[in-house]
Amino acid sequence: MKRVLTILLSITLVLALAVGCSQAPDQGQDQQEKMKIGFVYIGSATDAGYTYAHDQGRLMLEQELGDRVETVIKENVPETQECEKVMTDMIDQGCKVIFANSFGFQEYVKRVAEANPEIIFLHCSGSIQGPNYSNYFGSIEEARYLSGIVAGMKTQTNKIGYVAAYNIPEVIRGINAFTLGVRSVNPEAVVKVMWTNTWFDPAKEKDAAVALLDQGVDIIAQHQDTTGPQVAAEERGCWSIGYNADMSNAAPKAYMTAPLWNWGAYYVEAVKSIMDGTWTNEPYWGTMKDGLIDLAPLTEVAPEGAQEAVTKIQDQMKAGSFDVFAGPLKDQSGQVVVPEGSTVSLEDQLAMKWFVEGVEGKID
Amino acid sequence: MQFRIVKKAEIGKKKRALIFLGSIFAALFVSGLFLAFLKLNPFQVYIAMLQGSLGSAYRIEQTIIYAIPLLITSLGVAIAFKMKFWNIGAEGQILMGAFLASYFALNYSHLPRPLLLLIMFLAGFVGGALWGIIPALFKTKWGTNETIITLMMNYVALKWVVYLQYGPWKDPNASGFPRIANFAESAVLPELMGVHVGWIIAVLLTILVYFFLNKSKKGFEIAVLGESVNTARYAGVNIFSTVVLAMVLSGGICGIVGFIEASAVEQTLTKDITGGVGFTAIITAWLGALKPQWIVLASTLFAILIQGSSYIQSAFGVSTYSAQLLEAIVLFFVLGSDFFTRYKLIIDCPILSRIKESGK
Amino acid sequence: MADRSVHVAMKNITKTFGSVIATDHMNLEVEKGEIHALLGENGAGKSTLMNMLSGIYIPDSGQIFIDGRETRVTSPRDALKAGVGMIHQHFKLVEVLTSLENILLGYKTGLFVKKKDQKVKLQRLMERFQLDVDLDRYVYDMSVGEKQTLEILKTLYRGARILILDEPTAVLTPQETLKLFKIMRRMKEQDCSVIFISHKMNEVMEIADRITVLRKGQTIATLKKESTNPQELTELMVGRPVDLSIKRVPRVSDKVVFQVKHLTAENEEKVEVLKDISFNMVQGEILGVAGIAGSGQKELCEALAGLYPIKKGEILFKGEDLAGKSPKEFITRGISMSFIPEDRLGMGLVANMDMVDNILLKQYHHSKGIGVKRKPAAAKAREIIKKLEIHTPGIREPIKNLSGGNIQKVLLGRELDSHPELLITAYPVRGLDINTCLKIYDILNEEKKKGVAILYIAEDLDSLLGLCDRIMVISNGEITGIVDARQATKEQLGLMMLGNKEVDHAV
Repeated sequence: MKRVLTILLSITLVLALAVGCSQAPDQGQDQQEKMKIGFVYIGSATDAGYTYAHDQGRLMLEQELGDRVETVIKENVPETQECEKVMTDMIDQGCKVIFANSFGFQEYVKRVAEANPEIIFLHCSGSIQGPNYSNYFGSIEEARYLSGIVAGMKTQTNKIGYVAAYNIPEVIRGINAFTLGVRSVNPEAVVKVMWTNTWFDPAKEKDAAVALLDQGVDIIAQHQDTTGPQVAAEERGCWSIGYNADMSNAAPKAYMTAPLWNWGAYYVEAVKSIMDGTWTNEPYWGTMKDGLIDLAPLTEVAPEGAQEAVTKIQDQMKAGSFDVFAGPLKDQSGQVVVPEGSTVSLEDQLAMKWFVEGVEGKID
Repeated sequence: MQFRIVKKAEIGKKKRALIFLGSIFAALFVSGLFLAFLKLNPFQVYIAMLQGSLGSAYRIEQTIIYAIPLLITSLGVAIAFKMKFWNIGAEGQILMGAFLASYFALNYSHLPRPLLLLIMFLAGFVGGALWGIIPALFKTKWGTNETIITLMMNYVALKWVVYLQYGPWKDPNASGFPRIANFAESAVLPELMGVHVGWIIAVLLTILVYFFLNKSKKGFEIAVLGESVNTARYAGVNIFSTVVLAMVLSGGICGIVGFIEASAVEQTLTKDITGGVGFTAIITAWLGALKPQWIVLASTLFAILIQGSSYIQSAFGVSTYSAQLLEAIVLFFVLGSDFFTRYKLIIDCPILSRIKESGK
Repeated sequence: MADRSVHVAMKNITKTFGSVIATDHMNLEVEKGEIHALLGENGAGKSTLMNMLSGIYIPDSGQIFIDGRETRVTSPRDALKAGVGMIHQHFKLVEVLTSLENILLGYKTGLFVKKKDQKVKLQRLMERFQLDVDLDRYVYDMSVGEKQTLEILKTLYRGARILILDEPTAVLTPQETLKLFKIMRRMKEQDCSVIFISHKMNEVMEIADRITVLRKGQTIATLKKESTNPQELTELMVGRPVDLSIKRVPRVSDKVVFQVKHLTAENEEKVEVLKDISFNMVQGEILGVAGIAGSGQKELCEALAGLYPIKKGEILFKGEDLAGKSPKEFITRGISMSFIPEDRLGMGLVANMDMVDNILLKQYHHSKGIGVKRKPAAAKAREIIKKLEIHTPGIREPIKNLSGGNIQKVLLGRELDSHPELLITAYPVRGLDINTCLKIYDILNEEKKKGVAILYIAEDLDSLLGLCDRIMVISNGEITGIVDARQATKEQLGLMMLGNKEVDHAV
């Protein structure tokens, strides 16, 4: 035991010396002006999907604010206590603002935020709110509705597959908006839903898409972070709607369009407001009108006439005169849930737990 | 010219230490090349890794928090390995320990904190022990291969927790997101000196396992059994009860890790609760030569490596994959050095040997 | 005979392992067509020297000449290329393959092997050397002798003209030994050279042309057989005068202490390995057990020691039936019986543990509490070292680093320490050099004088005939006879070992 102790002590000593003699590359005093901002990512910045879109936003932030900000990222952070540790590490490294980009981080963001009142936390897609933390998201359903129009015009079997992550309101809302878009041009078509219970698992997502294709769908849409479902559609000679980014590289013959996030628009605005002290903990809800939401350009695979149909609605959205969830809306049993003339409030949207008519699938 | 690999005679402790140090330097050199390729200054990165893991009280705490489950799990598997019972089911044992402890945390949160924590501790032990007994029974009764059984039972345990997380135990307040509700305050281990009290459990277990393996009759029997089943039979060791006891302890100690991680760190049960520590512990247990005093060192160094490489990811913008590659390079060399303590490479080169001889 | 050329010459061969000099400027010359015996105690450097000739070790310095040309041997493959092949004590055969497959295995490169062509070639080789191998038989079906012949054929086929045999007779019956000697003589006629490693004096005197004696890593002398005798060779080997005879101590009592009645046991495949074994032992008697390897000796010992399941029968020790009792019961109930198993490091001792822990192995059951007490065991270890003159760096040295003789002394010392009244010893001198053998015989005789009944299982008929009072011969799990050791002959025992029931039981 004595020998072990000696070795332990000497190692500690050497380590302590090494630490003591060196200067941290990231703790220089001259960088006081810079605001350090941490981004906690659920996926990889190169996933060509959800996290990629966020990282594009971060790069835009760096470009816009230049010397005034410094950003650090941590990729592939699991929705466990690990994420709490990642955020605490970021604070330890001097971050003043932290963006966390996945729903499952919510509990941990809240916990760390309450323990660090001087740091501002912004959580994507959730619903938490406190003095120093809030959430941000947007009406991606607008773009989903538009992509639904494209899919509804394209389908030949009148069956469209939808690979979906978790049965949480965010995803359900997207499926409903997409289905409403589909049926606005093709009332016969149905949307079949397959849950994967993961945001980021290329193989599993692809398998789910294959299962849907086996059931006779000829278009695959997705609420997932990878291009797995696109690849499945491409391999079967079918068509697809992407998400988050232009996915034509993954599936050149299948991909038609994708709902897009333009996170940079929000990140720049949020950081600027924090810098000049005008930030409030009001949740941010961006729309197509605000430029947060967009639809990727339609490819040659998209059906004839789709561009016109999309542009017509999109123009209304940009003008703020189109409501995706305007009544009448029927649920899966055909009952009218939202009568003509009324709509689904944002609050109800954020808690949506039912499918509209035309969706084949279960929320359990 | 020919290369051959020859088994070495036993080598001394000094030489072994030299080979070990050599392997660390080799690892630093090779990963340095890799870092240089990424246009980073290797020295800065290494120093940052140390700073990231030991540079402040907070960082040391984080390192310790990572070292705790690694150390305890290593102790658990070391008991089984000492018996040459290849328990690679620590993952499953941790999960089952966490499951049973969580059962009490979720359903009996009204109990006073010390009592509830004690119950959870015991439940964690029992959960892991049950998962350890099964392969022990299979092995002693039917001669099954424990490596395969323990490995496969990991997946059974994992699927069970996944089932709970997505099914009956899903938190109704999580708006559909598959997670189990957070534990109440009474089921969360308190902190002492900045780190949850799991560290005290780790220290106590290290001492207990040290005495068990070195000074107790059962520990002695486990060691004899590990060296030779025939000798154990000859010496009157009850094979059945010894194997079962060792696996109760091995699985049980891993189960305690499940309790600690669920209670102190995660404060709920999730399918990712192990963080892969059940497999990493196999490495640290071996690096520690199955001796508790050395396992402490191996686990701590490993935790420093993990915490350090996690730090450089954000400090230098190194991607996760590059950081993991650095960890892998270090492991590769350290584990590979074990090969050179047992074998040596002989290069037969007529010219060289002639030069050598004429030199004499 | 005069124009014989030197086939192998090893000059000034030095090899060190760490700080130990295994061979110190050793020299050896083997002539073409001779049987050359290498004689020496354990640790004399016989095997090390031969391992260097066959390419397993590489000498630190020195030269090897084969057929007059300096040759560098750095691997067994190189050695075979130069015509040197070694038959090890442990055969390197794959049990589930046939003889032919074993011979061809790993030798011929290329995708296909023309078995037919090779078979013809092998038949010719077998005729030339008068070897009798069934090429299509599976190795697991073969006796030890047959396996050895197969190894020889394999080595010859691969081009060996200088054959090294490492203690080849240790595992053979007398009849098989004679057969091996015939093969060796035939090889000599075919101008091959044979190097024969042994420490059995009578065999060396029978078969060798010349003998090189090694001692402690040095070459002592090379002698012609005609011009020397066993006494001289032994003294050269040991380095001092030695009394070679095994003493037989007269029996002191007629009191029966141990009775085995109709003992029957089955192995896992339900084959009877012990068939209706019955015998008695009296106080202060050494009862020898002879038999071909694998005739049931191991099962008999283990059954008596409670380590092998017994199907039926009684084992009466001082009136108490031991059948079905476990080793732990033996120890905790103080049954004064000790068993020295054949496999010293695989059963009797733990190779990786030190002497203290090995002694603890038989003591810890007795101590109270949950802890082990190493202090008394350490004291005992020091006592045994002194009493049996064990050479060891210390009581904390792992047993496996000790020499074979010292390992056996540790085992014996521990077992005798419990003052048994019945001692079962399985092959207690196997692999040990003459000096240690004699020491072990002395120890056993001492115990006999004290009135201990000793069951002595051995393969060396000379020691059985010299040491024992009676010899029980078993064949295929059955007793073929119990004879008086003073009157029995080797030939008689050999026949009984092959299963011939002896008619005139001289009990």
